[in-house]
Amino acid sequence: MKVLKFGAVWCSGCLLMVPRWQEIEKKLPWLKTEYYDIDKDVEVAKKYRLTDYPAFIFLDKDDQEFHRIYGEIDKKELVEYLQDNKNK
Amino acid sequence: MITTKHMRILYKCLLLFFIFLSLYFLKANNILAQDPVYVTIFYSETCPHCVKEKFFLDKLSQKYPYLNIRELETTDNRELFQKVSERLRKPARGVPYTVIGEEVVVGYQSDDTTGKQIENIVIEHSTYKCTDFVAGVMEEEGILPQGEKIVGGDCPDDEVKQKGVLVKLPVLGTVDSSSLSLPVLTFLIAFMDGFNPCAMWVLLFLISLLIGLKDKKKLLILGSAFIFVSGAVYFLFLAAWLNVFFFLGFVPWLRSLIGIIAVISGILHLRDYHRKRTGCKATDEKKRKKIFGRIQSIIHTRSFWLALAGISALAVTVNMLELVCSAGLPAIYTQILALSRLPAWQYYLYLLFYIAIFMLDDMIIFLIAVKTWQTIGISSKFSRYSNLIGGIIILLLGIFLLFKPEWVMFG
Repeated sequence: MKVLKFGAVWCSGCLLMVPRWQEIEKKLPWLKTEYYDIDKDVEVAKKYRLTDYPAFIFLDKDDQEFHRIYGEIDKKELVEYLQDNKNK
Repeated sequence: MITTKHMRILYKCLLLFFIFLSLYFLKANNILAQDPVYVTIFYSETCPHCVKEKFFLDKLSQKYPYLNIRELETTDNRELFQKVSERLRKPARGVPYTVIGEEVVVGYQSDDTTGKQIENIVIEHSTYKCTDFVAGVMEEEGILPQGEKIVGGDCPDDEVKQKGVLVKLPVLGTVDSSSLSLPVLTFLIAFMDGFNPCAMWVLLFLISLLIGLKDKKKLLILGSAFIFVSGAVYFLFLAAWLNVFFFLGFVPWLRSLIGIIAVISGILHLRDYHRKRTGCKATDEKKRKKIFGRIQSIIHTRSFWLALAGISALAVTVNMLELVCSAGLPAIYTQILALSRLPAWQYYLYLLFYIAIFMLDDMIIFLIAVKTWQTIGISSKFSRYSNLIGGIIILLLGIFLLFKPEWVMFG
């Protein structure tokens, strides 16, 4: 599983999620994530047709999207979800 | 390219413009559903203060079209004057002797003092529809002019007016409406209007660029200028709305219109709370790039004063564009404020207080950036809860404006 994180320097919710993701990535060393700035990585952002920010796209082993989350999410809730879907 | 969103914004602005135009013409043509309020002035031909008051009353009747002035010279109406003063138990010690309902004002100092007092009584009587006492006495004496009739009913006594009413509110429980202070209401509405993490995108981008430059002086001055000018623009906007409501006076259907807007706004805020949305919609990409381009060129300007002027102009532009079509909460708040009887300076103090709360989230972000050299985000949970509490308050204010406007008259 891989998580694509979309955000921007001007997005309040995105800034709020940065430290949360840092803690999660420390806690789950197996987790792969990639960050995209929607102003710089325009084509990637367009590819996923995002409507709100921050946005988190969950990809399986075949790089197919199986879930997405918009907005802030509680760290505990996110860790639970990631662990439940670790082998996808 | 003009999109559906642009058309929606245009329709909203046209609707606002149409409403203002309609109100202006309706006021000019006196098409107002409002019971008349009579002010009776007993005067003397040789009394200079009476002349001053008559001039003031003439202006007042233009401001409040439902106001009728009855001028009675004391020599020609000696018996009536005596009877009125005896029945009201307010000795006729001098002139001008002004009667509104059963309230008496003796003498006239200036428009700002006695004039304001008379105006407040007129407003109160238009709300409570108090009876025209002098017309009652004139009818008994058989001297009421043809065409005139006694209007109004019993006025509530001072205790009721001062005590307010017990109101049962959801979540908050039973509350004495007289204890709901204007400062608390100002705080709640301003918080709901201003606390919006999604609306901070321009400020956050500006701060992130300034932090990147590692120039603390520029960060402090340009950031402060952006926030200050944004607050000033909104203050002027609120002041304009306030003066619109002063100018149009107590036009009942304007109050009803604002009441309807408040009810709709309250419902929409509660809907937003229910939706549990925590993300922010991205602003139009083209508009965003244009503004970001401007910010980048401003902060890289060599001349500090030009940069300051540029940031101030940007703050004006950005805020003006947002303001024109999101007038709901400011209109609702300034209508409530205009209904309150306060000295002139207090109205503007309340507006300043509103602005301080309105800009609070921006100031928090900015101060943290200055202190820590970092931009942080504010959780949208705050705006969710403000949607809930504020939505309830605004919905209730709308209902009160429609059915019980006297409950929202503070002061």
